Amino acid sequence: MLGSNPARSDADAKLRGEAVFGADLASPGMLWAAVSRSPVAAGHIRSIDVASALKVEGVLDVLTAADVPDGRTGVIVNDIPFLAVEHVAYEGEPVAMVVADNRASAEAGAQAVGIDIEPTEPVSTPEQALAPGARLVHPDWNRFVVAGGVDIGRDGNVVAEVVHDPGDLDEAFAAADVVVEGTYRTPRQYQAHLEPKMALATYESGRYTIEVSHQYPFRLRDRVAQILGVAPSAVRVVGHHIGGGFGAKLDVSLEAFAALLARRFRRPVRMQHTALEERLVAPCRANAMVAVRSAVRRDGTILATDVEIVSDSGAYANNGPALSSIPMFVFGSIYRVGTARIRTRNVYTNTAPTGAYRGVNGPWLVFANERHMDAIADALGRDRRDFRLASLARDGDLMRNGQPLEEVSILREAFDRVDELVPWRDIVSRNQRQRDAAAPSSPPAEAGADVLRGAGQAAAIWLTNPMPGHATVKLNEDGTATVITSATENGSGAVATGLRQIAAATLGLAAEAVTITMPDTDATGYDAGSQGSRTTHVVGRAIADASAEVRSQVLDRASQMLEAVPEDLVIDAGVVTVAGVPAAGLTLGAVAQAATWSDGPITAGASYVTPTPPHDPACATGMLIKGWPTPTYHLHQAEVSVDVVTGRVTVDRYVVCQEVGRAIHPDAITGQIQGGVAQGLGFALSERVDLDHGRYVQRTFKAHGLPLAEDVPKVEMIVMEHADPAGPYGAKGAAEPPIVPVAAAVANAVSDAIGVPFDTLPITPEAVLEALEAEPNGEAVARAAREPVLNRDGEQERDTTGRAS
Amino acid sequence: MPGAAGEQSVSIRLIVNDRRHQLETPAGETLLGTLRERLALTGPKEACGEGECGACTVLVDGAPVASCILAAGSVNGRTILTVEGLAGTGELTALQQAFVSHAAVQCGYCTPGLLMVLTALLDDTPDPSEADVRRALAGTICRCTGYQQIIEAALDAAQLMIRSATS
Ligand code: FES
Ligand code: FES
Repeated sequence: MLGSNPARSDADAKLRGEAVFGADLASPGMLWAAVSRSPVAAGHIRSIDVASALKVEGVLDVLTAADVPDGRTGVIVNDIPFLAVEHVAYEGEPVAMVVADNRASAEAGAQAVGIDIEPTEPVSTPEQALAPGARLVHPDWNRFVVAGGVDIGRDGNVVAEVVHDPGDLDEAFAAADVVVEGTYRTPRQYQAHLEPKMALATYESGRYTIEVSHQYPFRLRDRVAQILGVAPSAVRVVGHHIGGGFGAKLDVSLEAFAALLARRFRRPVRMQHTALEERLVAPCRANAMVAVRSAVRRDGTILATDVEIVSDSGAYANNGPALSSIPMFVFGSIYRVGTARIRTRNVYTNTAPTGAYRGVNGPWLVFANERHMDAIADALGRDRRDFRLASLARDGDLMRNGQPLEEVSILREAFDRVDELVPWRDIVSRNQRQRDAAAPSSPPAEAGADVLRGAGQAAAIWLTNPMPGHATVKLNEDGTATVITSATENGSGAVATGLRQIAAATLGLAAEAVTITMPDTDATGYDAGSQGSRTTHVVGRAIADASAEVRSQVLDRASQMLEAVPEDLVIDAGVVTVAGVPAAGLTLGAVAQAATWSDGPITAGASYVTPTPPHDPACATGMLIKGWPTPTYHLHQAEVSVDVVTGRVTVDRYVVCQEVGRAIHPDAITGQIQGGVAQGLGFALSERVDLDHGRYVQRTFKAHGLPLAEDVPKVEMIVMEHADPAGPYGAKGAAEPPIVPVAAAVANAVSDAIGVPFDTLPITPEAVLEALEAEPNGEAVARAAREPVLNRDGEQERDTTGRAS
Repeated sequence: MPGAAGEQSVSIRLIVNDRRHQLETPAGETLLGTLRERLALTGPKEACGEGECGACTVLVDGAPVASCILAAGSVNGRTILTVEGLAGTGELTALQQAFVSHAAVQCGYCTPGLLMVLTALLDDTPDPSEADVRRALAGTICRCTGYQQIIEAALDAAQLMIRSATS
């Protein structure tokens, strides 16, 4: 049962085209609404002309800021207006709403609204936002309220600042033999879920019902209530099948607009993003700059690391302030450093607000950390894998927040396991031989000599999101079970198979005999949504606990019916028997019937929240994520070929070694690893989200450069199991982290192949050719840099790449 | 999406999933709009609406087309197959069953389009190579799966169909 691969509960409906996604919803008599958005990145609203929109046939009304609740709301910082008031802060910011009796009219009306804006030069980049004398994106930032009133280090364009500084860096740098520096830059990444965001709202008896495809119905409930100024219990969110989210469907988007209009018009109101709106307002992964300086001793000891991070929040705060804690769990945590100073600033710009995308800040933090490890190894002339192993944290080491890493030796095991599959030394010497053969001094190149091969590794320790979950399990009178929870199935299979298997295994039922409800905030306990791989671990634990209680009620009842003590009973395939007497069995249906008509129905509920791991609360200022609960361990190894004529990078072989606690449904984990790596390869090599004066350049899937079937290799996988005592049957999270180390492993491999460091993403063919051109001797120069930088007397020499100083 | 209000309508005939329809559609309405709004066939999905992702793919006289950029009027008299027509009310097709056994469905939003593209492929090329399958998928985006389990499902389905045809 556990560790096997039963069919997903939703597969049949999805394959027949019967599954109803949010974007398929309709309601009799519904109106359609659409949003008029700012055409510029920054400016002052001079006037809004609604007359021509009102003339569009079918349009019923146009609403502007004057018609909706004033005040600002948000997840962490209350900085977002319902509709723009006086100023616009990004291209795509909602300015007006048009409601009509059909969709085409609503969209045409939204286009017809005349928004007259006096443009201002936008604050387009974090660098501009932080420059002395920079214009403030929000001149009244000081009046914004922060949830819980905590100090997150806000200051002008700085939304949040997290500082960890033990004060002993100077001393460590004074003792260094080598100082290695690097600056690592990464662009935004677009979630590119296929189903557009939508909402269907109704208002009845003083309450709002919102039907939606959303990853986190309870947050949506709370945010809609906050925006409308009503009690959360006045809002009911009902979830439907989700056509992809990857973090983009964790916060409110159109739902509060639809809810307000449903009340005003006393009709159901339906909204949906157009393809352009999807791209203009997607909460992309933040673009970021990570500058790292390390003080290193000749023997490879990293005495200190100094990290300076700036990430782009866009025009509003979203969850960037919380994500600014994550560097504390990457730098100086995976690999040992004597001491570390880490400063992270999340800053406002006049761009679309960034948000959560699978792995949140992980892909760019691990990119910086692992590029930097390669740079140090190169500067010391060490083999990159050996250097990693020598630097790897050991069991009991503390992360920068003071949290002990109890099981980090799992990561060392991962290095061994990958090496057993693909010995590192073999690849390195093969690639070296091939490069030597391709060198200008060697005999005329044969076919393929224009291709250089390289290999790279990247390691990560990722968390399993700890936030609360609840489940009620009821035994039906026909012997099947229903699990009532608002856990959301975002595609990973966590609900459609993982939770079902956990309930079934505990109750002694086949997976097919367990039904799990769709999310409904009226009907279930709180659930923190599909994020951070939490569903299998957190909700799975609640279901295992509730199912165990149901099971014990069943055994009590059955022991009376079978006249045996509960300890002697076994439940298998829906039948209770006395151990050793299989003939005299009772179906669970018979037990449930007997219970229902005597003491009452058999049900049980359970809640779970992962406790925050022990940590030092004084480790940093501004930390909102204090610990790194239920860590999982990851090592990725990439082998690439770089065509030096076309600049094209081909991933020849990709190996993932991932620790999951316990694999409940191995095929689902395979799908998460393959899919996560595909998204990571896109981030590393092809995907583009460029900003020009605050405005998005790419506005089609093609322009975004999403990986297609011909671009993604089959990923080789090693799944390690180290049961977590708190998890259901030992399971931790598995779905989010496979994206995290990918860009780092690939960039290390490409840098190795061509001998030019790639510290900026994406590594497009143009970028490869540019790098090779900029350094005509790039190959030779960087190759030399890989030789030891210490001369025979052990004195430090200048690193010819300038990376060490 | 229905055509903008006030446009003229055109009268078209379609055979969709073996059923004949005579419809009045606003001029310029897409085939996807007609299928979803008028025939309540919401299996074909609306995603990019720009012919880029393949989620809306249906077969027109057996050939896969992006129904979101095709005017319904332009397929007057033609035969359309949507995902709903693959299994109808019966058993899943060999391809659909292979999607189940290979865990090739995640969010499932791309699935209706992928099934149509691959159904057409297996019709034309009963014994495709892996490269054939990857090439056939060039116009379809799946953001969830990284494609591997889909490709394996298609190859497996091809073998199943060959075996059942020869047995
Ligand atoms: S919705 Fe038709 S191709 Fe994307
Ligand atoms: S399964 Fe989600 S896009 Fe393919």
